Amino acid sequence: MIQPSSSPSSAAALPAEASDAVQAALGAEHAAVWVYGLVSAFLPAGLDAPVAAGMAAHRARRDATERFLAAAGSTPRPAEPAYLPPDPVTDQASALALLVTAEADTTVAWRAVLERTDSAELRAAALEALTTAAVRAARWRKAAGQSPVTPALPGQP
Amino acid sequence: MLRAVLAAPVVLAACTSTPPPPPPPDPLAALAETARSDAALAAAIAAAVPALATAAGSVSSARAEHAEALQREVDRERPPRTSASAPPSSTAPAVPADPGAALVTALTAAESSAAALVGSLPRYRAGLVGSVAAGCASLREVLA
Repeated sequence: MIQPSSSPSSAAALPAEASDAVQAALGAEHAAVWVYGLVSAFLPAGLDAPVAAGMAAHRARRDATERFLAAAGSTPRPAEPAYLPPDPVTDQASALALLVTAEADTTVAWRAVLERTDSAELRAAALEALTTAAVRAARWRKAAGQSPVTPALPGQP
Repeated sequence: MLRAVLAAPVVLAACTSTPPPPPPPDPLAALAETARSDAALAAAIAAAVPALATAAGSVSSARAEHAEALQREVDRERPPRTSASAPPSSTAPAVPADPGAALVTALTAAESSAAALVGSLPRYRAGLVGSVAAGCASLREVLA
């Protein structure tokens, strides 16, 4: 398995603006990992595979982002002890809605990184994170029967 | 004294310099053009293929939104000289043999050309074009 260490590792000190945006994106990744852990109990076995894949993707992104920040001389911010979903998760519908929220939050955070760095390498990582989260959000909206399945411009706040 | 002597050639240079060459085409203009043609193709497919009406309709409206956002950015940076160059009133594109696959191919191509620009654009544009790339990738899920 390829380690997601393709994230820039040779980074020199990161300008504060970029560093803050990456820390915020790390926060969104922490939250997404927490959400995937929470929702699995409310979803049918048929969704086990996409839930596991989404969880693995966010863990890998979180770890790569932590490594990136550490290499750039910043201390990665830890996860919060708990998160407060906008609506309580009680069934399949609310579980899917929370997955959509977590993925959409992630797209916004990574698009913000694109707008706060000139590093092509960091932008490439941010674009991949934005795109993969947008695609997962679309799949969860589809599973929930939501329409439209995607906003035209994912990550646009 | 010395200052006055040094200043002279600068003024001279400013007077004799030739006008700068026209700027290269805006890379976002090509993305906007592709988005417009994708929107037209998807609209034609939505109208002709009932099974794809909803999905292709969504693709059409999202790609039209991409075209509008990209064109707005092109015009902001370099205001169009003439008032609103009328878009070519082309007839509706022909519906391809495998319309679903044609849309997926178009979205994949649009995603790659947008993604290829993200590394080198000014910051605001990098965000916008990144969202266009992510939007194209997500629109494939609409058709999946």
